Amino acid sequence: MTVGVLFNLLGGGVLLAPLCLFIVIGFMMLAGMPLAEWAITRITQAAVFCGLLCSVAILVLMLATGRREVLVDFGDLVTIPQEHFHFQLRFMFDRLSVPFVVLTYVLVGTIGAFASRYLHRESGFGRFFLLYAMFLLGMIVATASGTIETLFFGWELVGLSSALLVAFFHERSAPVINGQRIWSIYRVADAAFLIAAVMLHHTLGTGSFSNLAGSGPWPAGTTVLNPRDSLLIGSLLLLAAAGKSGLVPFSGWLPRAMEGPTPSSAVFYGALSVHLGAFLLLRMSPLLDQSMILSGMVVALGLATATLASLAARVQFDVKSNLAFASLTQVGIITAEIGLGLRYIPLIHIIGHACLRTLQLLRAPNVLQDYQSIENAIGTRLPQQEEILLRRLPKHAAIRIYRLAFERGYLDDLIDRYVVRPFLGLFGWFEKLERTTIGSLDDRPPQDRATTPRTEERT
Amino acid sequence: MFAPNRSRNDVSNNIFKHTRIALNAPSIPAIDHQHRDRIELIKQAIDDAAHLLPTQAPIRVFVHHNTLHAFEDRDFDDAIELASAAFGSHAYLPEHRYREKLARGRILPRDLSAELVEDLGDNADQFLGFLGTRFHLRLAMLQHPLRHGSQAELQWLIAETDTLRAFRSETPSALREQMIEETRRWVLRDLLDEKKSDQDLARTLFSEFPRHKIEKWKGTTWEAVTLRLLWEAIHRAVTKLPADGPGVASSSRPHERPVRESDFDVRDLVDQELIRFCGVYLDQGVATWTLPERQQGFLHSWMNLFADTKPVKSWMHELPGEIQRIRQRGWTPVEIINDALDSMGIPAADIEAYLRQTLFALPGWAGMILQLETTAQWVPFPAKSGSLIEYVAVRLILEKLAIRHTTKFQNSHQHDYTSDGSDPAGALPKADEALRRTHLVFQLAQVIGWKPEFLARLSASEWRQLIREIESFTARDRQRIYQHAFERRLRIQTLDAIGNKREASSAASCDPEFQLVCCLDEREESLRRHVEEVAPRCETFGIAGFFGVAMYYKGLHDASFIPLCPIAMTPRHYVEEEVENSFSKTHDRRTTTRRRIGKLTHRLYYLSRSAVGGAVTALLGALASAPLVAAVLFPRLTTQVRRKFAGLWRSPPITRQTLESTTGATNDDGRVIGFALDEMIAITARVLGDLGITKHFSRIVVFLGHGSSSLNNPHSSAYNCGACGGGNGGPNARALAGMLSDPRVREGLRLKGIQIPDSTVFVGACHNTCDDSVEYFDLDRLPSTHRKEFETTQAALLEACQRNAQERCRRFESAELFIAPENAIRHVQARASDLSQVRPECGHATNAVCIVGRRDRTKGLFMDRRTFLASYDPTSDTDEFQVLERILQGVVPVCAGISLEYYFCYVDPSRYGCGSKLPHNLAGLIGVMDGAASDLRPGLPWQMIEIHEPVRVLFVVEARPPDVLRVLSRNPDLSRLVTNHWVQLATLDPNSSKIHFFHQRDFEEYLPESSELPKVSSSVEWFRGWRDHLGFACVVPTNNSASIHHGNRNKGIK
Repeated sequence: MTVGVLFNLLGGGVLLAPLCLFIVIGFMMLAGMPLAEWAITRITQAAVFCGLLCSVAILVLMLATGRREVLVDFGDLVTIPQEHFHFQLRFMFDRLSVPFVVLTYVLVGTIGAFASRYLHRESGFGRFFLLYAMFLLGMIVATASGTIETLFFGWELVGLSSALLVAFFHERSAPVINGQRIWSIYRVADAAFLIAAVMLHHTLGTGSFSNLAGSGPWPAGTTVLNPRDSLLIGSLLLLAAAGKSGLVPFSGWLPRAMEGPTPSSAVFYGALSVHLGAFLLLRMSPLLDQSMILSGMVVALGLATATLASLAARVQFDVKSNLAFASLTQVGIITAEIGLGLRYIPLIHIIGHACLRTLQLLRAPNVLQDYQSIENAIGTRLPQQEEILLRRLPKHAAIRIYRLAFERGYLDDLIDRYVVRPFLGLFGWFEKLERTTIGSLDDRPPQDRATTPRTEERT
Repeated sequence: MFAPNRSRNDVSNNIFKHTRIALNAPSIPAIDHQHRDRIELIKQAIDDAAHLLPTQAPIRVFVHHNTLHAFEDRDFDDAIELASAAFGSHAYLPEHRYREKLARGRILPRDLSAELVEDLGDNADQFLGFLGTRFHLRLAMLQHPLRHGSQAELQWLIAETDTLRAFRSETPSALREQMIEETRRWVLRDLLDEKKSDQDLARTLFSEFPRHKIEKWKGTTWEAVTLRLLWEAIHRAVTKLPADGPGVASSSRPHERPVRESDFDVRDLVDQELIRFCGVYLDQGVATWTLPERQQGFLHSWMNLFADTKPVKSWMHELPGEIQRIRQRGWTPVEIINDALDSMGIPAADIEAYLRQTLFALPGWAGMILQLETTAQWVPFPAKSGSLIEYVAVRLILEKLAIRHTTKFQNSHQHDYTSDGSDPAGALPKADEALRRTHLVFQLAQVIGWKPEFLARLSASEWRQLIREIESFTARDRQRIYQHAFERRLRIQTLDAIGNKREASSAASCDPEFQLVCCLDEREESLRRHVEEVAPRCETFGIAGFFGVAMYYKGLHDASFIPLCPIAMTPRHYVEEEVENSFSKTHDRRTTTRRRIGKLTHRLYYLSRSAVGGAVTALLGALASAPLVAAVLFPRLTTQVRRKFAGLWRSPPITRQTLESTTGATNDDGRVIGFALDEMIAITARVLGDLGITKHFSRIVVFLGHGSSSLNNPHSSAYNCGACGGGNGGPNARALAGMLSDPRVREGLRLKGIQIPDSTVFVGACHNTCDDSVEYFDLDRLPSTHRKEFETTQAALLEACQRNAQERCRRFESAELFIAPENAIRHVQARASDLSQVRPECGHATNAVCIVGRRDRTKGLFMDRRTFLASYDPTSDTDEFQVLERILQGVVPVCAGISLEYYFCYVDPSRYGCGSKLPHNLAGLIGVMDGAASDLRPGLPWQMIEIHEPVRVLFVVEARPPDVLRVLSRNPDLSRLVTNHWVQLATLDPNSSKIHFFHQRDFEEYLPESSELPKVSSSVEWFRGWRDHLGFACVVPTNNSASIHHGNRNKGIK
């Protein structure tokens, strides 16, 4: 058996394990024979263990053979020769994707073990693990993808499962409203992503990353695109990344994501999902190298996010929002690092941050006891917290800054006012237009006509 | 968390202190009479409504209390009816849950009959002419499920199911045959005859069933014909009836008015704002920045924050102007409220209802504000007094703006502010109503046996009577009777078990092997039983878990003093744990180390959340994966390793408590350190008197306090000892043992007639109810002469703990059903140290009974961890029954509080309880929210109460009824609970097995229903292999000791 075949086998293992998990849990639910808790727990363990083993084996093998880029091709999913379109199912293992895949398996596996006890006897146990499998599959597909269309496919799975997990407790209204809001923001990001992917295809004729970064494996490649295209495609991808990672101006969704059960908040929004935007930027780093303006935009967005989030984190009174903003601060810094042209540092930063934050979020309900034990060790009530920044400023400015932090930078309100409202207004106008047009054709009195239910996004 | 006897004036005083001062200030111009009336009305309304707010203190000290404490001056059933109207909550379980219990024999038909007879009183046998007696009609309605449904559902039922073709499965077959037969006769006799009446019925019938084949109709056809005629006869009659009378309330929340969309918008907008602001206002240390000028009060800091910058949200645009206006006029909060109510056009008559609604929009936060400004002022950042009324003012300002905005925005009809919306039942379309009633009578007719012919002949007035009779027995009435019946069954089982328990334990108590004094907690019932099984010659006792020692206590590793006594008491003494002199150097060194580590942890904690520090920590964050993976995958091992490490800088375990006050008596803050000698003598004499241990001391007496340890559990203090105010009872047990070890105390006791032999040694210990471990204190002071006895005691307790863990494991689905004791203890240890465990233990779930009396009366009775056991020896009480009084004063409020809190949280986990733990988010270190932002959720989480069975606690007191009545008459608080039926009360005669039950207003003799009690040779024999509820049994150990038998069995399993 050659090394190439071995790589293919292992790569297949990495991808097929979560796919099988998703299919088995999903199929049994569809067939009306949902699996028992213990069965779900077992197969989840098996799938994660299998995937982790394969990905570690790939890592070892790559280190041993010295290969820096391994491509695993599954051929074309769709080909439309007339339109010169092909959906290429290709996966790539390199210095960027392998650490991500291993990290995903470790964290998601740990959360799986955690959730199997945490959600014991919960009526949505099966649903949770179905979404969990979907998330894992999306995460692995996105990180190991070798073409932009495969990345998009994984990206969508992650987005869908995330939004559904936020709305996990669908019998209450708040989770559903927040889930819907997150879904709407993801749609904006996805639209930007999709346009970028189409443009990339259009200019390059392929969505493959190895073609994009012509000359060598990550992070060495330089793109063959011209700077203008790089800037355009790069800006769209930056918008997509901003939506997914909760960068300014989309930062408002991250604390809202804390509606689901604790483990899902921990791994998905605290650790993995938020870093997917940064991953996209890293994957597209050849574009950044090409365009100074783009790099500048990335740095600016990253720093703005970090500043705002670190302010907002200081005034959050609940543990989960506090952690969400702390997490966002780091994501902002990571983004800025990427914009500054660093490659390995942001990667290490992401891995370290994801592990740390998962641990902190899983222990979030324990904060009361943690505070107590810190107090006991120090021997007094916790020292008055530092308010250096606030105290040095004049009173008036201090209140303004506090208010800015309290309102989370007004981001959600601004979006509601300047994007959502005009958008709804426009479509409300269309609705009215449609109704009057149809009304003029209908000879029944107006009160008998069926009314269209009011649709409005709640904030 | 009101102390039980808190008067309502306290609250009002506190709320209005602020406003009153402001109102009396001379700057207020003369206000006309009407205005003053309105202001008074507003204050009164807020005061009344505030009284009903949840009274849970910050979650660090979770104390069980009656959720509906404010309603205790009413009869239980009336009170919960009233409360469910006020809060829109459930008062009982849904009907189908009771019927499940009926099906499984947890309620027997005879319980239903008995409760129904009692409920109806003289009306039970009232003969309703054609309907039989009222009793029989109602019993039929209780025994058989009556399904309800919307019009669409009913139409579907008729069209798509067998409803009109086959009888209900509940109908007895004889009745079914009879109905079919008589209908057949009726059809052939009358309906075929065209000249007779009921032509419309005949027409409907024959349009469906071909008339010419009538002689060939089969049995099933006749069944369908019968049902068809039945349906038609009913439907024809009820469509003619007016839709009046009380509608049969469905089991959903009855008093909730339909919420309109605009209401929802306004409430939602305002809630979102207020949750965030209440959060930062009440935060006790999660946020790094505190709200500017929060010590100046709610209104001030809120106006301060919002005065300048115009909010982006368009509905709040007018806020800065509004604040400006308020500031210029110098309004007090009440005046702001008055102004807001005015401008929203609320008439005086509606003010009370509107303000109540305002306070109950976010009851959790409003209640917490009230707590932090009144009773829980010990937190680091208490709320300024007057905060609640300021909160109402802010809320109304926002509501005003939101309403103004939504009405402007939607340009819709005038907003309707009044609290009572249209009655949904009245608005029901007539056809819908008729269909519903038809279906109801149709179901009843099949189980009672009303034949179509009979129904077809009823007159309109008879039909009216029939419908009235049926609808006057509402779902709520049925639930109440079910609930009473359920309580009745459990009560009969309990009283029969106690009455039937003959003197099984003949082991004379003159020379006990050792004596064990536990908390009266029902979780210790099983431990005591197992100890007695392991060491049949021992004696066990139960007492409120603070062991009579009320103190502020600070352990060696604690930062501050915490009160360890029932919540109703305020301790006067401070006790501290000190390290022994010879270890003071090590102690100092390690304290410094601990402090350094603590500071480092604290620093890291904040660093990891900040920008730059976070970046540094995150770069090293990959190291966090090790503890993460280890803690989730190997919880027990991780905890052991962590303990081992922590042991390196823990202070040496050789410590003492500063029990005795020295000459200085008080320290600098006026604290009384320790107890004076005569106080110690009084405490010990009292405890021993309560317990009834005044003679026969064994060589070793163990006082066993209890606490619970768990991770990731904001509600952990709810698992601790209730009698220690949600603290750990170990220090109290240790203190009592310490006092009794003092020779001077013993001398003092001798003078009071309590002779403690010199050979008796007292040991304090603490039982961890979560991982079933026992920690002993001051063993270094144990004389070597007692070494051997102590080791025996320790071994017995260890074995008992293992068996206790095994018994507890039957309730955990994640433990094997036939788990061995050694594995069981490992299982519960893992639970205690597992981050992902949401049910570390079952807490007080399933508590149902409290027995106050000698252990001999219950020894050997398997009570399934459902029974609080307090010791009381009626033979050694005074003539005035002061001992009994003392015990009941402590036991009744504590047990009633636990039982009622569990009751309410179980029947309505989303209103009274705090729902599922899974989305909980700790807010401000004071409570939990659901998800990102919600109301603060007081009460117990569902995972904690899942296996509970909601019943009012039954007290069984070993005393004669007149004596108990005498004690009650001296204690209005206790007698209020009893006479208003918030608890059940029975007495057990001290000299016989005669039992009296407190019924309505007085004791009645209880007549046992059965005289049988299953006998087993050990507890495990009774509980093994069963996860669900277990009945009583008598454990009579056989001659060869149970432990040997047990060991063999385990080997078999391994």
